[in-house]
Order: sequence, then structure tokens, then C-alpha cells
Amino acid sequence: MRAFTLALMTLLVAGPALAGEPTAEELLAKYDSVMGPSTFESEVEMTAFREDGSSRTYVMKMLRGENDKFRIWFKGPASVKGQEMLRVGDNMWVYLPNLKRATRVANRDSFQGGDFNNADVMRVNYTQDYAAKVVASDVPDTWALELKAKSAETAYDAIKLWLRKKDGQPVRGEYYGTSGQMLRSADFKDYEELDKGYTRPTKVVMRNELVKARRSELVIKKMKLGVEAPAQRFTQSNLGR
Amino acid sequence: MRLLSLAARNLLRNRRRTAISLTALVVGVGAMVGLRGFINGQQRVILENFVYGQVGAVQVHKAGYLANVQGSPLTLDMADSEALRERIAAVEGVARVSPRIAFGGMLSLPDAEDATDEEGAGKTSFLQLTAFEPELEKEVAPQRLKWLGEGAHLSSADGAELLLNADLAKSLASGVMGAEVPQERWPALLAADRDGALNGEAVRITGTLVSATPGDRRLGYVPLGTAQRLLRMEGRVTEYALAVKRLEDAPRVRDAVRVALGPEYEVHTWDEVVPFVAQLLGHQDFLFEMLTSVFLLTVLLGIVNVMLMSVLERVREIGTMLAVGMRRRQVVALFLLEGAVLGLVGGALGALVGGAVTLWLGQRGILLPAPGAAADSIIRPYVSVVYLVRAVGLATVGASLAALWPAYRAARLRPVEALAHS
Repeated sequence: MRAFTLALMTLLVAGPALAGEPTAEELLAKYDSVMGPSTFESEVEMTAFREDGSSRTYVMKMLRGENDKFRIWFKGPASVKGQEMLRVGDNMWVYLPNLKRATRVANRDSFQGGDFNNADVMRVNYTQDYAAKVVASDVPDTWALELKAKSAETAYDAIKLWLRKKDGQPVRGEYYGTSGQMLRSADFKDYEELDKGYTRPTKVVMRNELVKARRSELVIKKMKLGVEAPAQRFTQSNLGR
Repeated sequence: MRLLSLAARNLLRNRRRTAISLTALVVGVGAMVGLRGFINGQQRVILENFVYGQVGAVQVHKAGYLANVQGSPLTLDMADSEALRERIAAVEGVARVSPRIAFGGMLSLPDAEDATDEEGAGKTSFLQLTAFEPELEKEVAPQRLKWLGEGAHLSSADGAELLLNADLAKSLASGVMGAEVPQERWPALLAADRDGALNGEAVRITGTLVSATPGDRRLGYVPLGTAQRLLRMEGRVTEYALAVKRLEDAPRVRDAVRVALGPEYEVHTWDEVVPFVAQLLGHQDFLFEMLTSVFLLTVLLGIVNVMLMSVLERVREIGTMLAVGMRRRQVVALFLLEGAVLGLVGGALGALVGGAVTLWLGQRGILLPAPGAAADSIIRPYVSVVYLVRAVGLATVGASLAALWPAYRAARLRPVEALAHS
């Protein structure tokens, strides 16, 4: 009887929340937790396809630490081996072995000549960068979100996101520039449980909407959440070591 | 001949009227010549900025380059060799060949030396770069040399040097760096290489460029060898810019180079590379033609009026001439000749005045602050002798045509009635 009462009360309390539509903030928080967990270590491959039919695959290791810190090591191909990238808060650097120093780069710069930009890969924190509102979705079984940039420093001026109703996983994204022109569009695919209780799309196909024949695919090979990362690994002086 | 001297003497009979007509013609033709001179001077500045400052008279690319310039032009490059350069240079009319690479990159400045906060953070900016060998480029695009603001030009074909637009340098909180500045303080030039992979080179800002043309300020020049290292394109270029002996010969040189190189390459004249400049010049010419037509028409209508008055005043005289056996077409010829002499003298004086003013302004130069450009342009008006001759011809023919109707009126008079005219 007590169990029944408890169940009934739970239902009464949780019911309206379940039946009600999630707010834009909740959906965006869900997106951030799926696409950019607060700490993780991963092995990732990015393949850039170009209009002349050629493609190039970059192999990298990523590490995200507490307080919005991010580091990437490039393992291949030979021309980028030894390059590293670092983000601490709003600052981003690339380390080039031939220059032997950290060089600042911007959010909007292209990530290794592909169709992702630096922020797409290294700064998944939409809650912080964008203001969202829920709009009517034209894709069945999804919520649609419209994001507007909070500052001029963000990677895009506006983003449109589609998230699955059943679990909040992203399905599609469209990314717009200052003039309102669509610059890129992304399809999220191959949902997999990479770590215990953590599921995400393991493949993101980013299409260049300006040069249609170009696209880049980001594939997550391995991912481990909740790793310990010492703070000194996220300093400029640690780059190249 | 007798008619001609008669026409001249007739004009001298009413000196005041003739003087007024002449003044109108002198002002009209003079203004036409002066305006043409000014437009010529302005167009020369535009041409110098684009042809001798950026494009070069003729450009050679890998086939398909211009159509895909928005995409990834680095993959549409060419193997650069002495043999290829010589093959191009051997074409009749080609004065000089300059190999180049045009590419986009990012300039990233190091943080200020004592930077502890956001204030001293190094700035970054995207920019469009042109790489060339300074020694060859100065023959093809000599105007580039005049755009140096501060500092010095690129000194070698492969030095770690950068010439940066002055406004961009300012917005990046940077400027010309002396040779004593250590390499850690130089900005890094980052770019995606030919395969799309990121690469970087440290470069020293040796000089700044003033903006000569309105438009994007995010521009820089680097030595060719430096760009080839950065882009991993050793021994490759994206374009050859050619200087030709005479700019008018550019289309002929283009065709000859096309034949010499074959279908693997595409060859364009400057106006095909920057069609909007050629269009701009075309529009200007059209406007000028319209303006001068209206101007001349007004002057000529005045002459029609004067000639008509002259006919009406001389009805008895014309009647006498017809009565003593002068033929009607001789009467027509007389009035046409009066118009022609008026046009010839007025046109010649106008051309002389306009030509002299243009010559004077050409020597002196007109300083014109160009809108949207940091570098003022000096316009030096000029007109060709051919144009002056044409202006005189136009005035003569125009004034004769203006006399056509009055002459016809005169020839149609009946001698008896004309003689009775009081």
C-alpha cells in the first residue's frame, strides 16, 4: 500500500513534467551533455572530402578537463603529426612543431582545412554561447531549436538544431553566418553507447553549403568519460611535450 | 574657292554675331576636350591601380582556375620551371613574366610580452595574400612599389617577410618590425596547405601598404619562396602575371600565349580577370559620350539660329545672286561653307584652349582624395592629338549640318520675290 502511494505520488509529481514540453534551456543542456561532456578522453578521426574528389583523414586524440579546458594531439597524417591544439576558456592556440610555439587561433577559423571550424570541435558549450528558443519542427519526432549568438565571438551567428523527442539526441544542425546565409549543415548519425550510460552520435557529417562538393566527417572511435586530467596539461608551456 | 573666300568674308560682315557663335563653339569644344582629358587621367589612375598594381596585363593559370577561384584554387596550381617561364617570355609582345601564388591565410600575433590578462592577448585576422618574387613583380606590377606606407619592401624571393595593409596592421595592434626584433615576437602566418592541412611560418612585418583602391583591407604580400614553404608547394605556383610591351596589345599577346602553351593552361587579359573595372571604364565612356552629345547639340542649335537670322537678313542679297545666275546649289554651298568655316575656326580655337588647359593640368596634376582608399590619387589629364583632330572635325561637320536648314531655306527663295523683299 505504501509502495502504491509512493508510486502514485511520484506519478502525480512527475506526470506533468513528463507530459509537458521541455524548455529550450533543458534541450540545449541535453545537447551540451551529449556532444560535450565536461571531462573525457577520446580518439577521433576526421576525414575532409574536397571538391576535386580527394580526401584526407586526420587522426587525433582529445582530452577535455574541468573548467572548460580542451587539448588535441594530432597523430596523422605526417604533415600535421606533432601539431597540438589547446583551448582554455575563450582562448585557443595551435602548436606547430616547426614554429615551436603556441599561436592563437579564432573560433571561426577552419579546423585543419576541413568543414568544421575550431569551435565546432573544441567548444561545444551552446548554453554559454547561444540563446535558444523552441520552434515548430519540420522533421517528425523531433524538437527544433533556434539559437542566436550571445556575442560576436561565437562560431556562428545563428544555429538551428533538431533533437530526437525520445532521447534528446541530435539529428541535424544548420549553421548560419552574419548575412543569414547557411554556411554549413550537419547530420548526426550512428548512435552508440560509448561509455557506461553515455550514448551519442559517433559520426557527424558536416557539409559545406557554400562549396557543395565539400564535406567533412568526424568519427568518434573511443570515448571515456570522467577522466582525471592534471591542470598543467592545459597550459601553453606544456604544448609540444 | 571663290565661294570659300565669300563665306569667310560674309562671316566677317557681322563680327559680333560671329564672335558669339565662335565663343559658343570654343566653350563647347574646349569643355569637351577638357572633360575628356580629365576622364582619361582618371581612367589611367584606375588602370594603373588595377593593371600595374595588382593584376598585370595578362595572366596565365591552370585551365579552370578562374572559374573555381572561390573554391580551393591551390589544387589548380602549375609546376613552375625556368623552361615554362621562358616559353611564355619568348612570345612576341611579352615583356616580363612574374610567378605568383594567391592564397588565403591567417595572421596571428604573439601575446604582448608582459601580458597577464586579456588586454595583451595577441590578435588574429584572416587575410588574402599574394606571393611573388619582388625582382620580377616590380616589372609586371610596378605600382605595388608606390603603395609602401612605412618600412621597406620585400627584400628577397624567400625571406620570412610580410608586407601588411596599414589599416589591418593597426587593427591587429602591430606595425613595422625592425630586423632586431627576435623571431618569437614575429607574427605567425597560418594557412591550409595544398592538401588542406594546417601549417605555419613566422614572418616579420617589414613594411605596411596603403590602400590604393577601395575594398577589403585584409591584404598582404609575402615572398614566393615563403608561401611555397608554408603551403608545401615547392616549385609550384598558381599564376603567372605578364607585362606586355603595349597595353593595347594585351588581347593579341593573350592569343599568342594561348597558342604557345596549349589547352592545359588558360590565358586572360586584365579586363577578363577584373571585368568590373573594364565595365566601369565602359560606363564612364558611355556617360561621357552622352554628355558631350547634349553639349554639342545645344551649341549647334545656337548656330542654326544664327545662320537662320543671317539668311533672313540677306534675302535681297540672295535674290540678287540668284538673279545674276548663281545656281541654287551654289547658294546652299555658300551657307554650308559659312557654317563649316565657323565650325573649323571655333573648333580649332576650342581644341587649342581645351588642349592647353589639359596640358597644364596634366603637368600640375589634380590631387583627388579617392573615396574608400587611404592613398590619394593624383589625376593627370591628357588628350591624344587624334582626339583633338576629331574634336575639330566634329565641330566643322556639326556646324555645317547646323547650316543645312538655313541654306536650304535660302536656296528655295524665288529671285523676284526675294528682290522685292524689303
